[in-house]
Amino acid sequence: MKIPYRFAAAVLVVTSAPAHAGNRLMPAGTPAQIAGTPLSVTPPIDWNRLGLRPGKFAETWTLDGDRLNKVVFFSGVPAGSPLFREIDRKNRPLPTVSAAMLATDIPVLLESSYRIVMDTALFQVDAMAPTSVGGHDGLRFSYSYTRQNDELRRKGEGRAALVGGKLYMMLYEAPALHFYDRNVEDFHKLADTVKF
Amino acid sequence: MKRALLALAMALGLPGVGHAETFTLPPFTQAYEPQGVDERGAWMTADEQERLLRSSKFVIRDDGLNHYVRGVFCRTVGKDRCANVRIYVMRMPEFNATMYPNGMMTIWSGLLLRVQSEAELGAVLGHEFGHFEKRHGVFGFKNKRTMSDVMAWIGVAAPQSAGFQYSLLGQVYAFNREQEREADMIGVQYLAASDYPSSAAARVWRRLMAEQDASASARGRKAKHGYAAGYFASHPSELSRATTLEAAAVRYGDEGDEGRAAYAQALKDWLPEFLGDQIKRNDFGGSDFILSQLASDGWSGPLLFARAELYSQRGNPRDYVTAAQFYAQAIEKGYAAPKALRGLGLAQLRTQQTEQGKASLRQYLQQSPDASDASLISSLIGN
Repeated sequence: MKIPYRFAAAVLVVTSAPAHAGNRLMPAGTPAQIAGTPLSVTPPIDWNRLGLRPGKFAETWTLDGDRLNKVVFFSGVPAGSPLFREIDRKNRPLPTVSAAMLATDIPVLLESSYRIVMDTALFQVDAMAPTSVGGHDGLRFSYSYTRQNDELRRKGEGRAALVGGKLYMMLYEAPALHFYDRNVEDFHKLADTVKF
Repeated sequence: MKRALLALAMALGLPGVGHAETFTLPPFTQAYEPQGVDERGAWMTADEQERLLRSSKFVIRDDGLNHYVRGVFCRTVGKDRCANVRIYVMRMPEFNATMYPNGMMTIWSGLLLRVQSEAELGAVLGHEFGHFEKRHGVFGFKNKRTMSDVMAWIGVAAPQSAGFQYSLLGQVYAFNREQEREADMIGVQYLAASDYPSSAAARVWRRLMAEQDASASARGRKAKHGYAAGYFASHPSELSRATTLEAAAVRYGDEGDEGRAAYAQALKDWLPEFLGDQIKRNDFGGSDFILSQLASDGWSGPLLFARAELYSQRGNPRDYVTAAQFYAQAIEKGYAAPKALRGLGLAQLRTQQTEQGKASLRQYLQQSPDASDASLISSLIGN
């Protein structure tokens, strides 16, 4: 009976290793470059960067695990590129960044992408307002959505700007119940440190 | 009346009803209880799924819409049969419907957007009920279990028999396709026996193929419509389903009112919502095809607005020109929602009509001063 358990444990270690291999502590006070681009933030508290990146120009940070709270950075997404990694390019291709986008198009792009990637029709943008992102004109917006597989309503807040035809965006997301309010200020403090 | 005549003809075996001679429904009991351990297990699992589904945020809880869909279902399969089924209308933009062994049925909003009459909806509802009436769930499960057992034993007895196991696996899918064909035939027979014309059933699949063509064409591809299904396909091909259903409808030769106007009226309030879901799927060709089908009797304000949003989202420079025209036409047709002015203004800003764009956006803010994006729009027009 011992052999199968050992074998199972070995399989677990081997299969789970790649997902966690790139996870890294982002220590407080140390500036961090985002996705190898000129965009950087200086976290006021310790955050964790996940090894698994949702897109070519994106990376995810979290405090307690990405299902409980996460910040997703999109840094310098050029025209013609989607926000996320394609899930079914042939039948369900993702919308892409366009050079002709206005600030009002950014939440629309996020909504359409989420509806495809998360496979949900329950997504809505709740509010939009102008703001400065690292010294550039941009917008902040809030949204909420529910995924089919967990039925949990999640709230999100984003800050985004188009700089030189490329999209820069930070999203904070957490379950509407308890977790969103608990850490939204941590996101604000982190997002306020953004520099190009 | 038509149902009674068909039943009489079936009972007498009259030649005029052709295929109906072989169509004998199993006895239908109102309080059927699952038989045997497999069926009891399947029902127990489905009961648990239904308990979860009942509280799902994806269920549309509009009494009017639910009552209407149930009414179409009852008129299709008859009052005695429809009483046993619970229908859940789901907010899911794909074309789909599902049936569970315990009598739970889901109808997806993408299906409601795509069918255009009560008869077409009845065809799908009848098909799904056919799965329930013929107890396809439990027989499909038994078939899969038997085949996987056989494959496992063959794997032990003859490890070099991968080809034979592959063949058995194909049989599982073939069995599933056969169940779908049977449900198709039951669905069209219900239609023939109802006040709806059975010719509506094939049209659902013809239109779906045309949508796939439009979707693929806009993506620079070509849709393939073969008669034969793939080896691992769970359903027969749309082409073979349409052909078979057309042939069946010709055999029945029944007529009746499809209920087109009543269907459009019943879906009126939900149409903008379902269109919005469809447009956000990033499927320009498919969405434009659906819109043009819905506009076969003329472009209404909500349809023009949806088309403007579709072009605006594709976002080529020329698309904003077209979108601005559709927004303006929607407003001319009396589409009063402020978001049409918002769309018009944003499209105009991107088509070298800066002053007109700012004027439209100012109008939007006047009509909707508390809009959730008021400050952002104000910043765009330099207020």
